[in-house]
Amino acid sequence: MFSVLICDDSMVARKQVAKCLPPEWEVSIHFAKHGQEAIAALEEGKGQLLFLDLNMPVLDGYETLEAIKEKGLITQVIVISGDVQPEAHERVKALGAIEFIEKPVNSEQLKAVLDKHQILAKEEEQEIDSDALPADIRDVYQEITNIAMGQAGDHLARIFNVFVRLPIPNVNLIEVSELHMMLSDIEQKESVSGICQGFVGPGVAGEALFILSDSSFGDVAKILDIKENVDDQVQLELLMDAANILIGTCLRGLAIQLDLLFSQGHPVVLGQHRNVTELIASNKMKWKRSLAIELSYGLEGYNVQCDLVLLFTEESMRVMNYKLSHLLED
Amino acid sequence: MSQDDMTEMHWLIDMIQTVDVGVVVLDRENRIQVWNGFMESHSGKLPSEVRGKTLFEVFDYIDEEWFNRKTRPVFELRTRAFMTWEQRPFLFKFPNYRPITGSEDVMYQNITLSALTSTTGQVDNICMMIYDVTDIAANKKELEAVQVRLLEDREKSTSN
Repeated sequence: MFSVLICDDSMVARKQVAKCLPPEWEVSIHFAKHGQEAIAALEEGKGQLLFLDLNMPVLDGYETLEAIKEKGLITQVIVISGDVQPEAHERVKALGAIEFIEKPVNSEQLKAVLDKHQILAKEEEQEIDSDALPADIRDVYQEITNIAMGQAGDHLARIFNVFVRLPIPNVNLIEVSELHMMLSDIEQKESVSGICQGFVGPGVAGEALFILSDSSFGDVAKILDIKENVDDQVQLELLMDAANILIGTCLRGLAIQLDLLFSQGHPVVLGQHRNVTELIASNKMKWKRSLAIELSYGLEGYNVQCDLVLLFTEESMRVMNYKLSHLLED
Repeated sequence: MSQDDMTEMHWLIDMIQTVDVGVVVLDRENRIQVWNGFMESHSGKLPSEVRGKTLFEVFDYIDEEWFNRKTRPVFELRTRAFMTWEQRPFLFKFPNYRPITGSEDVMYQNITLSALTSTTGQVDNICMMIYDVTDIAANKKELEAVQVRLLEDREKSTSN
């Protein structure tokens, strides 16, 4: 957790700063009564952000800034002081403070400063970065996908009389750019076709991406028992049929375990009828990253290779994690 | 069933009747069980005319084998199946909803098939929903035509 150190000799001042921190900001707060205590705390790794008073006993603010510099301690310092002289501002900035706030501090002002230096945003990002996908959560997603796939595989095997080599789901948080790469790959290679389909349940939204290599069409036609000549039109139908079945079975399996229902939108053909790059570019700003569950299927005895990618929005993860919390316990 | 339940039931039926989406319920033999107002209006066939008949008896242009291939996973796997206008412009040959100002002759359709679970937990019926996507299709076709024209013009201007 992000740690904040508040250093002031006055208890009232310390409490006031603590009270002015954004209430939704989850941080651990530490206090120091003077510079020396602050340095000691910093050396213990506390205080990624330090609110520092200037006039204090033992070690004052200026000396503390000097000590931080000298010892190479990593922290961001915001000076909060009643000293309103312009020179004081310049001096502390020269010593490495990122901002100067005049006393008495208020929450709007503090929030503005935190925003200005993107401390709030950075903290959020760091949190996601550092535990991008904690191992236990990844495990849970992998496991529920496995179960969903197991059921789906069983259904497929029974109705189409094929043995499905169950894929090991690959669970990751991916960035826009990575998805972009994945999709432009579809566009460039003429040998694959893709379909995307939106799905939504209460609090959970995402898209399923189905990619089939064109060399698979012949065998897919065999499995689905199509005797016609496999022309472009039939290929499109095969793609749609295969996508319906694989996306449907997988989503159904997941929905049962998450105890919710997914509505599915109408599938859209990628690459063939739509410019993928444009599709992504137009809504690039709306999301940063997404939870991706990738599944690569193979069918025993057939030359069929297809990939199913389920993308969940970042917000959906909160709901899903909550729904899956019973699996995370003990 | 209480009075309230009855009222609610009545509303539900009324809504299915009036919603501007085609709703058809089929059994495993593709016999029509439900035929809502949208279907009645656009096809000109009354529910009493079609109920109990198979889809192929009523619409002989629908390929039975092809259709069964679509419905099989819905019955067996309980997954939804989708047919889009890009894949097949329409399943039912209905005239355009706007007979005067519409640019297309037919109604382009997106179709969703979903399983209906009976009280015993089995899937004996499926529900077919028919959406009118003529405007989307017309816009897309127009856009594509414009793109082609643009390319042609560009080629002409560069060759000159």
